[in-house]
Amino acid sequence: MVVKVLTEGIGEVDLCDIEIYRARGGYEQWRRAVTALGAAGVMDATNRSGLRGRGGAGFPTARKWSFLPANGRPRYLVCNSDEAEPGTFKDRMLLERTPHQVIEGILIGSYAIGSRHSFIYIRGEFAEGYRIFKAALAQARAAGFVGERIFGSDVTVELTVHRGAGAYICGEETALLNSLEGRRGEPRLKPPFPAVKGLYGEPTVVNNVETLAYLPHILRNGPEWFASVGPQRSPGFKVVSVSGHVKRPGNFEVPLGTTLRELLELAGGPLEGRKIVAIQPGGGSSACLFEEHLGLSYDFDTMAAHGTMLGSGAIVFFDDSTDFVKAALALVRFYAHESCGQCTPCREGGHWLEVTLERILHGGGVESDIDMLLAVAHQLTGINLCPLGDSIEPFLASVVKRFEGQFRSYVRTLPVPA
Amino acid sequence: MSEPSTGGRTRDFASVLAEVKPEAERLLAEYPQRRSALLPILRAFQNVEGWLSPEAMSVCAAMVGEPLSVVESTASFYTLFYRRPIGKYMLQPCRNLSCTLRGAEPIMAHFRERLGVEHLQTTDDGLFSYEEVECLAACDRAPCMQVNLEFVFDLTADKVDAILAAMREGRYEVAALPQSAVPAKSWLVTQAPAKRSPGALRVASPDAPGGMGDRSGAQMVERLVEDPYPVVVRPTRERLVTDGAALLANDRDLAAVARDVRPDGAS
Repeated sequence: MVVKVLTEGIGEVDLCDIEIYRARGGYEQWRRAVTALGAAGVMDATNRSGLRGRGGAGFPTARKWSFLPANGRPRYLVCNSDEAEPGTFKDRMLLERTPHQVIEGILIGSYAIGSRHSFIYIRGEFAEGYRIFKAALAQARAAGFVGERIFGSDVTVELTVHRGAGAYICGEETALLNSLEGRRGEPRLKPPFPAVKGLYGEPTVVNNVETLAYLPHILRNGPEWFASVGPQRSPGFKVVSVSGHVKRPGNFEVPLGTTLRELLELAGGPLEGRKIVAIQPGGGSSACLFEEHLGLSYDFDTMAAHGTMLGSGAIVFFDDSTDFVKAALALVRFYAHESCGQCTPCREGGHWLEVTLERILHGGGVESDIDMLLAVAHQLTGINLCPLGDSIEPFLASVVKRFEGQFRSYVRTLPVPA
Repeated sequence: MSEPSTGGRTRDFASVLAEVKPEAERLLAEYPQRRSALLPILRAFQNVEGWLSPEAMSVCAAMVGEPLSVVESTASFYTLFYRRPIGKYMLQPCRNLSCTLRGAEPIMAHFRERLGVEHLQTTDDGLFSYEEVECLAACDRAPCMQVNLEFVFDLTADKVDAILAAMREGRYEVAALPQSAVPAKSWLVTQAPAKRSPGALRVASPDAPGGMGDRSGAQMVERLVEDPYPVVVRPTRERLVTDGAALLANDRDLAAVARDVRPDGAS
């Protein structure tokens, strides 16, 4: 069942126009937050809603906010719109199609944590999203929703739009903060976490676009409304990006707890005459599930219980025509390319896995390479500053184990180049 | 090598600076700390020149108050910053998972054949640069690409041919990039290959990628002597700090900015 919460009105009206957004109740929750609820009220509603981060880690949003020390220092909220997880295309849609909802969410979140100057970090490749968002922000500023003395109160929230310049790793929150400070986008050693020492060394919260965009809806409909949907520990809605071997790829907003089979059907089912043999349920970093898992509930905890994750909510379906050696290479090459190079296991391991897969695919591979893929992927995991290197093993190991025959047949049939 | 080489420059830098300056000043004022404006200012220069010229990076260093080496290091981290001139159309088809599943490989092969270049190369006429990129967040319309960062969806070989023809005839809907200098074969700056470990995986030849033939030192020297786009003009401490300021010398406001962040004699 598709729901319309964040996606309400998309494709029907021009939500980039502030008047149309306001006519549908837009910015009313921002007004209510400032004039009625107070920051503590917003914090409380978010906590009771059970909202968990929609960027990948699924961390409870209100708990993340609660880590900020009450030390009187300036605080910053940064909205992470560096969407680049393979298979994910929900944040770009939200930025391009309903930017005011994102702005309202950022404003409410900023107010809740006490950020007087917030930032949105938009991926460098999103030229159109950046233009649309900037125009929407200018409208919101002109209407008095952004800046000083909001709704006649003493509340100030400035919002700066910052664009990346091509680096997947900047989606990692400490790399994002370095990039926002004009540095190389290299992740920082943690602790200290951004909540304690973040942007400019001050307490900082980094939240995903989709996470923040749900805030106006949680305030409008009440936290119980959100908390009552889906599994108790993993409640609410989720915009799921479905791609790969399906008839109608796209974004589908569903209650968490929808089954993978329902999501496959929403996307039009498998291509003609094909059957689904594997599912990557949570972006490039997640381990594959297989056809026997199609009945699983799509939520944070069920995915974790099956050795994978919901991640950013990007599902890729693979049918029985898939060459999993090529699929593995596409993702391994991606992580090798995007490694920032700080940690040796990730920088070296990703590269050598790519070299090994190329060799298997193009000739020169040997049988022992297949075991080596698993060994190297495992050895480079868990010993890096950030999760990028660790992201290689889940998908690679799951498809090598399941489709080992495909890998072996390349090695056995291709001639070794002279 | 003494002064910044023109490197085949077709537009003088003074006019570039005049065009970018108001935007740069606005950006410097927008952030709590000046250095945060570095990426946006670099982009502002690249939007005008088509690439990040040594002069532009030098001025950026003065503006944000960082050494030139830091600015170049930062610029080098990001794939959308080009430290060498590129073509008028940057063609970037996606090679990641969802596009691969929906036929990216034959599309990329078609591009390479039609353009006569490989990944990360520019055509001899300076019109096209070609790069196979990672997930562009348009997997619902795979295979996809960006042209000068504008999306093209649902690629087919015919669509590619139509796009290339329109670009060659100057009637493509996306504006061509500016080009303040003549591009070379690739915009990649040669980096030391020694970052990866040697000898693993039965790499036989020391000259093979990852082999023992580490030429990093030799490459640094080559770059100092032969690079047509030298960033380091004269390797003394004073010049490193003040090159950008020198370029700004006729501009009182920006010169003041540069002095403000790098007082003379600071160590």
